[in-house]
Amino acid sequence: MVSDAADTILRAEGLSKRFGGVIAADGIHFRLQRGEMRCVVGPNGAGKSTFFALLCGILRPDSGRVFLKGKDVTDLPAFQRVRMGIGLTFQTNRAFHALTVAENLETARRASAGGAGDDAHFRAAYAAFELAACSNLPARELPHHQLQWLEICMALRRGPDALLLDEPTAGMSPGETMFTADVLKTLSRDGLALIVVEHDVAFVRKVAETLTVLHQGAVFAEGPVESVTAREDVREIYLGRVREAAG
Amino acid sequence: MGPELASILYQFGTNAAFLLLSALGLIVILGMMNIINLAHGEFMMLGAYAATFAVHRGIPFPLAVIVAFFATALFGIVLERLVIRRFYGRELGALVTTWGISLILAQGALLLFGPYMPSIPIPGGAVSAGAFSFSVYWLILIGISIALVVALTIVYRATSFGLQARATMQNPTMARSLGIRIGRIYMLTFGLGAGLAGLSGALLAPTTSIAPFMGQQFVAPAFITVVVGGGANVIAGAVGSSTFLALIETPVSLTLGTFYGTMALLVMALLIIRVLPAGISSLGGRLKLAAAR
Amino acid sequence: MRRLLHLLNGPHDLGRGPVFWSGMALLGAAFLAYPTVASSFGATNTAYYLLNIPMALGLSLLWGYGGVLSFGQVAFYGIAGYTYGIVAGNLTDVAWGTPVAALVALLMAGLSAAAFGYFVFYGRVAAWIVPILTLVLALLLSTFLGLTAGYQWRVGTVQLGGYNGMTGIPSLQIGGISFQDYAFFYLVVAVVAFCYVALRIWLNAHRGQVLMATREDMLRTELLGYDVRLEQLRAFVLASLLAGVSGLLYVQWGNYITPSAMGLQQAALPVIWVAVGGRDSLLAAAIATFLLNQLTYVLSSSGNQSALVIVGGLLVAVMMFSPDGIIVGLARGRWLSTLRGWRGTARPREATNGQ
Repeated sequence: MVSDAADTILRAEGLSKRFGGVIAADGIHFRLQRGEMRCVVGPNGAGKSTFFALLCGILRPDSGRVFLKGKDVTDLPAFQRVRMGIGLTFQTNRAFHALTVAENLETARRASAGGAGDDAHFRAAYAAFELAACSNLPARELPHHQLQWLEICMALRRGPDALLLDEPTAGMSPGETMFTADVLKTLSRDGLALIVVEHDVAFVRKVAETLTVLHQGAVFAEGPVESVTAREDVREIYLGRVREAAG
Repeated sequence: MGPELASILYQFGTNAAFLLLSALGLIVILGMMNIINLAHGEFMMLGAYAATFAVHRGIPFPLAVIVAFFATALFGIVLERLVIRRFYGRELGALVTTWGISLILAQGALLLFGPYMPSIPIPGGAVSAGAFSFSVYWLILIGISIALVVALTIVYRATSFGLQARATMQNPTMARSLGIRIGRIYMLTFGLGAGLAGLSGALLAPTTSIAPFMGQQFVAPAFITVVVGGGANVIAGAVGSSTFLALIETPVSLTLGTFYGTMALLVMALLIIRVLPAGISSLGGRLKLAAAR
Repeated sequence: MRRLLHLLNGPHDLGRGPVFWSGMALLGAAFLAYPTVASSFGATNTAYYLLNIPMALGLSLLWGYGGVLSFGQVAFYGIAGYTYGIVAGNLTDVAWGTPVAALVALLMAGLSAAAFGYFVFYGRVAAWIVPILTLVLALLLSTFLGLTAGYQWRVGTVQLGGYNGMTGIPSLQIGGISFQDYAFFYLVVAVVAFCYVALRIWLNAHRGQVLMATREDMLRTELLGYDVRLEQLRAFVLASLLAGVSGLLYVQWGNYITPSAMGLQQAALPVIWVAVGGRDSLLAAAIATFLLNQLTYVLSSSGNQSALVIVGGLLVAVMMFSPDGIIVGLARGRWLSTLRGWRGTARPREATNGQ
């Protein structure tokens, strides 16, 4: 078994998952380094959500393994992976609507008895998103983009080493999207590893260092943003452009 | 085939048939609408009562059973229109409400008809083999259970209703957008489930005493069968669950008595849900996955 | 202490603030003064209406605040009652026999709930499985105890008594006080008050918040790092301990217990009280328990057989028209808007399919 280099936070080997006749994940290999900023993209139905769920532990793979900081977590339920030091957010907004912003963050903080990491990233994000102003508002009264920001802060509250975000800017205006991208970029520069599953091309261009392109459940392309987005075949799977007849 | 073996097979068959008959109506409704009908035992009681009334007015028993099916099915349809349809999507609410209905039905039967009803004599006699005697009627019931499974399979696979029902089970929104009147499907399914409960109640009536609270004896076996079977695949779940549970129950009740047999069912259910939370019917999917690898 | 008071006044139940608490204090005083004007019989009856409240509070916690429906709370009611009868009956010559018996009874209720709950909650089963299996548990226990009629069915010197149940259960005695009649009444009032206050504090504290989060969005709670299986198990055991408290009080009330205490009709009652009052309010559950117990008692003691039909009908009506519960609905002003709605439209609302 290949042992992880000391700076590999998250690793997946041969992840596969089928739902009835649909192959949602097909032998995905994946590696995230400490402080790396990775975007996972792909056309609709590429298997991004499935891959995300497999990494989090919401879904169990049919085959393949997931490693967190060198430890095999494939059989661990999601909450234990979170305790080991990852933070998760979702598309469907999942703050607790009846609780205030402060209570939401407090709930996130007290998830388990000890072992929280350094909350420097949290404090930076909290300040950047200016959530202190709505600290006593019930979450249901926040506008959509602030709810998303609250969710990011909740995921950061216990100082994880890696943050996994599933379409964090869905429904945001372009301005809010860019602002979120800036904040995430700053966190990444400060050492936080990030995986962002995203649709928004502008966001991806601004934020990502490396890109993983999924197509039909498998890794289609992976590498630095510039080279991957320049590839003809990557563009094709998005746009479905018919190849011109060869010579 | 020695008489001992015949006797054990007979016990197994009657246990499995009892579980299947007790649970079938419940599973049909669960599989379609994700609703547990806690008044299920009382529907069986209604069927038994309907059959009793029919028989004691001179209607031959087989016909009385058919009457019971339709009477209970009709009652189920009316109930669905008035009450049940408000609870689609609210499973726990449906649970609690059908519980209230079961109370009303059982207590109502007590108030209206008193604590005892005349019983139905068990048709057919007994056959003996060696030192054991087997009730012909129970052998018939085993046959009827198998026939019911076949009939339901035909309904689901070969009729237009069955096709629409399966489509609605898998994807109600899609079904609706294809023009399937899912409200009607739900109504007919609930009626079918109720009718099957009434049918089972009528069939089992000669084997037990007929009283307002007779439904209670079916509650534990029916619910355990449903929990172990799951709702993913109605027929496979019902058959698989009742067979599997009877396999466990038969040796236990032969050695320790019927109560411990039922207790063993609960223990089995607890163990199974730990391992297969969605019941046996989900196993089909898992086996296909394993085969595909 | 200040923190406890702050938690007690927390928002997760109907009523808070000085007016509310003054009202509650008056209510408490009224109950305490009641024995001075009532006969021993009256006090014992009122105690009966009160003693089921802890079980209802537990179910409200589990179902209303935790989102887990159990139909089998009476199982733990019965386990505690029977265990107390067995232990106290065997320790009649021992000075501290009855308090020890009470503790053992609660321990048994809690342990059996933990064991049962482990299989149910760690299996992460669908929501409808819990009410079904808890109901089956209660039924099987009730059936089992109904079969224990023979002389061989005894633990130590205490007969289980089969269908007729266990009689002659000794009353709780602490020091020189034997908790019967008026003393029993005060005991019940004290226990009920304590349970309400303690639960209200717990619900407003962190663990209670987590429980409510589990109900609102189980996946989200898990993804924050909480072990939701454990949270649900904890709530289940707590609810079962409370059911055990009610069971203990019950055997003090009548000095007997029968298997029907865990049977199908009895199992329905806590669900009915809590659903009719309003499951996500401790106070509503308590009030509904008191009033409905009074109703069923008055009905059945006047020879009226229709108590259960009425109560069943009430349940169906509430679930259909006021699913939050009558008391909660009143408190939250929903009835006003419903009434306004009825006056406004002449034709009945059409039922719609799906959600």
